[in-house]
Amino acid sequence: MTKEPNNKANWGISYGELVWREFGKNRLSVLCLGFIVFLFVLAVLAPFLANGKPYVIRIDGRLHFPLFGALKATDYCVFLAAIIGVAQLLLIRRNRRRIDPSLRGGVFWRQISVMAFVLVGGCVAICLRVPYKLDATNYRDMVASDKATGALFAPVPYGFGEVDLAVREQPPNAQHWLGTDDVGSDVLCRLIHGSRISLSVGFVAVGISCLIGIFVGAILGYFGGKIDFIGMRVVEIVMAIPTFFLIITIVAFFPRSLFNIMIIIGITSWTGDARFIRAEFFKLRKQDFVQAARSLGLPLRSILFRHMLPNGIAPVLVNATFGIAGAIFIEAALSFLGFGVAPPTPSWGQMLSLGVSTTGRFLWWLTLFPGFAIFFTVLAYNLVGEALRDAIDPRLRKAA
Amino acid sequence: MTKNNVLLSVENLSVEFFTEDGQVRAVQNVTFDISKARTFALVGESGCGKSVTALSIMRLIPSPPGEVTAGRILFRGRALLELKERQMQRIRGDRIAMIFQEPMTSLNPVYTIGDQIVEAIRLHQKKNASQAWADAVEMLARVGISDPQQRAMDYPHQMSGGMRQRVMIAMAVSCEPSLLIADEPTTALDVTIQAQILNLLDELQKQNGMSILLITHNLGVVAERADKVAVMYASRIVEVADAGPLFAQPLHPYTQGLLRSLPRLGYTAKRLPTIAGTVPDPLHFPTGCKFHPRCPLGSDDKQCQTIEPMLREVRPGRKAACWHCPGYETEEEFKEYESKYGKHKRASVKS
Amino acid sequence: MTTYVIRRLLLMIPTLLGITIMVFAISRLAPGDPVSLSMGPGGQMDAERAADVREARMRLYGLDKPVYEQYMTWLWKVVRLDFGDSIKHHRPVFDLIKERLPITLSLNIIAFVIIYTVSLPLGILAAVRHKRFFDRASSVILFMLWSLPSMWVGQMLIGYFCGPAFKNWFPPAGLSSNNADQLTFFPWFGDRLWHLAMPVLCLTYTGFAYLTKQVRAGMLDNLRADYVRTARAKGLSNAVVIFRHAFRNSIIPVITIMATLLPAMLAGSVIIERIFSVPGMGLLAFEAVTTRDYNVVMAVATVGGVLNLVGLLLGDIAYAIADPRISFESAV
Repeated sequence: MTKEPNNKANWGISYGELVWREFGKNRLSVLCLGFIVFLFVLAVLAPFLANGKPYVIRIDGRLHFPLFGALKATDYCVFLAAIIGVAQLLLIRRNRRRIDPSLRGGVFWRQISVMAFVLVGGCVAICLRVPYKLDATNYRDMVASDKATGALFAPVPYGFGEVDLAVREQPPNAQHWLGTDDVGSDVLCRLIHGSRISLSVGFVAVGISCLIGIFVGAILGYFGGKIDFIGMRVVEIVMAIPTFFLIITIVAFFPRSLFNIMIIIGITSWTGDARFIRAEFFKLRKQDFVQAARSLGLPLRSILFRHMLPNGIAPVLVNATFGIAGAIFIEAALSFLGFGVAPPTPSWGQMLSLGVSTTGRFLWWLTLFPGFAIFFTVLAYNLVGEALRDAIDPRLRKAA
Repeated sequence: MTKNNVLLSVENLSVEFFTEDGQVRAVQNVTFDISKARTFALVGESGCGKSVTALSIMRLIPSPPGEVTAGRILFRGRALLELKERQMQRIRGDRIAMIFQEPMTSLNPVYTIGDQIVEAIRLHQKKNASQAWADAVEMLARVGISDPQQRAMDYPHQMSGGMRQRVMIAMAVSCEPSLLIADEPTTALDVTIQAQILNLLDELQKQNGMSILLITHNLGVVAERADKVAVMYASRIVEVADAGPLFAQPLHPYTQGLLRSLPRLGYTAKRLPTIAGTVPDPLHFPTGCKFHPRCPLGSDDKQCQTIEPMLREVRPGRKAACWHCPGYETEEEFKEYESKYGKHKRASVKS
Repeated sequence: MTTYVIRRLLLMIPTLLGITIMVFAISRLAPGDPVSLSMGPGGQMDAERAADVREARMRLYGLDKPVYEQYMTWLWKVVRLDFGDSIKHHRPVFDLIKERLPITLSLNIIAFVIIYTVSLPLGILAAVRHKRFFDRASSVILFMLWSLPSMWVGQMLIGYFCGPAFKNWFPPAGLSSNNADQLTFFPWFGDRLWHLAMPVLCLTYTGFAYLTKQVRAGMLDNLRADYVRTARAKGLSNAVVIFRHAFRNSIIPVITIMATLLPAMLAGSVIIERIFSVPGMGLLAFEAVTTRDYNVVMAVATVGGVLNLVGLLLGDIAYAIADPRISFESAV
């Protein structure tokens, strides 16, 4: 009974598949995952769902496509990222069906690298090539005054930056389904576009903190001794800083931008991941496969990242999902306090801060809807993280 | 065995576990008796159900998955399975005590060992704190721990495995129970310590007149210490006999296989005989006799493959569950039996 | 044990230095400075005069010296508890902190006590009734509580319970009513509690979920441990087994959580004090940051760091006391 590597019947179940199957047994978390996917779709398609410019409009007998013309570089980058993401998922499915598990890992990483390269290159190219056009024509007025006909608007026909002081602070009505904020922008539109901010903050911030944390934790855990001692003191210093104070300090002093916030949240929250990886690496260091790798003379980065890391990454993944929820929270809190993204960029937290008007009126629609958005998003991520933790743990215990 | 000598009587005990993967029948139709001041050994491979049997005597089976589905357990005439939990709590630790396999984890790490013994004493006896403490120290001395005054104030993590097991024994025997259930008491210990612990148990048995239910997979221990032995395989008892006759002449093919695979002094064969195959998965027991796939006699026998043999008396004082064990099945056979082996009390006939 | 405490306190010093350096660096790296802010566009003065005034003010606050000198002077003063003067309030920062810290601390301590009183029994009960209705239901509810953003809850509470629009049961802001100084002790105390009710509510609910989960997880692990089986075999009743054995072991990780809970609540204080206008450290920090009040910002960050470290130290000491397996020599 020789084992042929390509004989499908002999393939075991890979760790990823095991976790995925266990995860799928929990219907609630699959629902939450579906919700998160829905949010992503919302974020990607935001300019098509809520836009002040119509898809198509007939002016003086000629067809114009204002919405498509006004798409910005960021929109194109987001589309590119979405396409690449979907392509990668399809590739994963194909891998699972066609490639032997022992080879799958290497193939997967090559694919990811190619995808990342395409993404970054594409984004740079887009940002350099796509001009920034400002189209300030008010198409709704044109339709209203019969200067144009045959206009097809997006489902929510308002732009997130539109200011219309005549309709400010209106509760939900037929024109503005979720009401308007203090400058007259449509709440639903800003809610949809705000999802982009929340999701991107989550991912980038957690991405940064994971990278730093994994790197630091791997070095400390692998070497131990003096390096570990000094390193842990540094980690303790960073941990002892009251992070929220630090964040608002930094954010208040430096110019307000989404990018700054993402970086700052990332560099203040890596300590948890570092401690996890360090603990895992301590355990793994003594195992035979690490000794074998060392005796083969493999370079350090190979030992650390190709051999040890996949075994110790589980708690970091779980922590990452909770981290995304936390990052969304922090961004909302910062925007609420006035330190986050500046208007007109839409942010759920900033909308929340308008809930009590300057005159003291309680504008319930500005409190309820953004609040629910934050709540459901954070809840979804937390539940997914919890289910992921459950999916990973018992498997480890059973396999051991 | 005359009736008034029987301390514990287990009749047709069945225990099942209702798990996500299915229904596991961990113990099926187990019947045996334990006499006063005797050591009864329950032998078998891992997973055969011996620990579950012991736990069900103490009614410590974790109840959401597990359940005693049939049978009776009589302890001094009282039906243990019908007692209320409160009554059972009074019996546990006091009349029936149990020690476990892992001394490392079986003691609470945050209390001193003195405190843990005192807890058992004060629960079942009306003694005040200082009396109980004095008793505890005395127990520690009895189980052979030197400097017991000092040791009583130690925490479990400060002691070695052997000492911890002695502490467990001290705790269990502190209220002088009539039955001590020892679930693999020496498996986790060094060989030299094993002997010491077993000697200790022997001594305590002589001093207190207590019975011991010894659960083990080590046949050597059984040969030395047990008075009567029951062999379990895949949730059933397959043979019961006094220790001497069992080792001299095992009747059930499984017992025979086990004994054959023990290396002995003077063994000259090149390879150690083994029992072919592996223990069956409790979720998917074989039909008929559970041992038949591995049995040299029964793997081709249709009766062995389809009908499960009952545990019945096949010699005076010996029971076995095997179609190939000679025994009596009808009245005539019984008379023939009697003429061959002499008059004896008639036991169950094949049904 | 005293050597352990002394060693930890000594180790705290480099950590504190690190914190102060970091805070100082950030406040100095940022564009803009308090003098320019307080002077505003200076449209009323002509340029030369404005420059003179600016220089004078910079000299007054020592902002014209090189950075490391500023740091050393500042550090030297801090060690003697002189945090300088607040540029906005024109009062010594130390006084401001002295006024406000007790408020924040009392808010957090009350919340702390409530969280522990509720979570411990809840966690034990959920573990004992594992996988049954109570466990599942409380799990879901606690999860939802954990995911509620505190500013949202605060705002909703104000909108629905503290204002004229819906119910007017609680005051929307402040620590005491306007006539508080005229009241005797008990009415004053009651008034204080009435004002604190909503902020404390906001501060506690997030802690419930986290702590209950930890207690539940610890209890589940311990209830299945071997020594619990031994305890049952001794004939102990279920209640004794749960409380004296399993719970006593589960409490060990919970104690270490105390150390991390306090800093988290201090952070949450910022938002809640802002929403409810409670004059505590959080609000002080917020205002200081918006007005670039250097001295206050650095003082608050330092005090926050100290509190963090003290909390960590207390947590470690409590851990070593609770778990006899940890000796003070082995724990660094």
